[in-house]
Amino acid sequence: MMEGACIKRTRKSINIFNTTEEMAPAYKLTYFPVEALAEPIRFLFSYGGIEFEDFRFDRENWPQMKPNMPFGQVPVLEHNGKVAHQSIAMARYAAKKAKLVGNDEWEDLEIDAIVDTVNDLRQKIALYHYEADAAVKESRKEPLFKETLPYYLQRLDAVVKANNGHLALGKLTWADLYFVAILKYLNSMCGGNDILADYPNLTALKNTVLELPAIKTWVEKRPNTDM
Amino acid sequence: MAPQYKLTYFDIRGLAETIRYLFKYGEIEFEDVRIKHENWPPLKDSTPFGVLPILEHNGKVVGQSIAIARYLGRKVKLAGENEWENLEIDAVVDTLNDMKSKLSAIFAEKDEAKKKVLIEAVKKDTFSFYLPRLEAIVKKNKGYFALGRLTWADFYFATVSPAYDLVTGEDILASYPNLKSVREKVNALPAIKKWIEVRPKTDF
Repeated sequence: MMEGACIKRTRKSINIFNTTEEMAPAYKLTYFPVEALAEPIRFLFSYGGIEFEDFRFDRENWPQMKPNMPFGQVPVLEHNGKVAHQSIAMARYAAKKAKLVGNDEWEDLEIDAIVDTVNDLRQKIALYHYEADAAVKESRKEPLFKETLPYYLQRLDAVVKANNGHLALGKLTWADLYFVAILKYLNSMCGGNDILADYPNLTALKNTVLELPAIKTWVEKRPNTDM
Repeated sequence: MAPQYKLTYFDIRGLAETIRYLFKYGEIEFEDVRIKHENWPPLKDSTPFGVLPILEHNGKVVGQSIAIARYLGRKVKLAGENEWENLEIDAVVDTLNDMKSKLSAIFAEKDEAKKKVLIEAVKKDTFSFYLPRLEAIVKKNKGYFALGRLTWADFYFATVSPAYDLVTGEDILASYPNLKSVREKVNALPAIKKWIEVRPKTDF
């Protein structure tokens, strides 16, 4: 997997008043102290009742950590001595573990296609948000808000309407959790507005996912961050 | 009987070639529809999200080239045996896709001088970062991108890697023999070799 990796598994401290030794969870997820691209994985592990260490490093430590990552990026997922990377690949893995996938290859393809489409939208938003040149950024604003966002959100809203309130297969799949989990990130990149304001079916989907007991519990317990 | 699958894309290799490779490798019949650019605007809004390629099967339509490739990779038994193995394949494909997306700015740049600057930047920041790491992965996996054996990740690399040279005008994999050998290996598979001989000849 990753040569020269320097991964430390931290053990939870042993409480001397507790006779049972605590075992580290089977999974350790490492990311910046934000929701963003790791949140779908957190949602999916939470939904599946899969214990994971939600490690959020201090941003000032990132320069030292970066060279130790498979491709200099996070999130990464450690499990059984191996290290995985690529947020969507890891979300798909967590989805399988949480049993939020299709019944066959075509059903999985339908889910994957929606997730990749949401990711395409995220990338287009990011192209605007992260642009360092102010003039270029300003030139991207109107096309994004007047054309791109409506183009995608109208179609996604229609998909949800046609799929019994979900993004694929007419039922809850990891596409729903993926979308809702990165919503705060998308909204923050779009200047803090609720990009779903005009889309009733997507808004209803957001509420559906946030009302799932395991997700509700996770959202209440997770650190509160802006994105 | 009409083939069970209909693939629609532009008349280029581009994002559809991995899909075509996998259909050919698995000997699965498909209709290889190629549309001309001037015929695209009226068609665009009839696709799920206004982009190609799309795949039609049993009255359903889906897009997203990598998702389709994963689907076919599983169908033709070039996928993993369990969830973690598939995660390894998915991660390397997504990484190759990340690297490829950094080339699109060069491709779009028409000014030759600006293009040269972008090419030097991508060689310095992108290729020199990704390629040694990918080379190491292939070396560790006995000449393949994952699991020590042929998977659809190798097919993906074989079809997207020619873009590195096309866009820069250089032999980008010259110092990466393991990476080059993956492409050669895939292209030498009998079904693929045959497809390369008969497929429409296009620039991209």
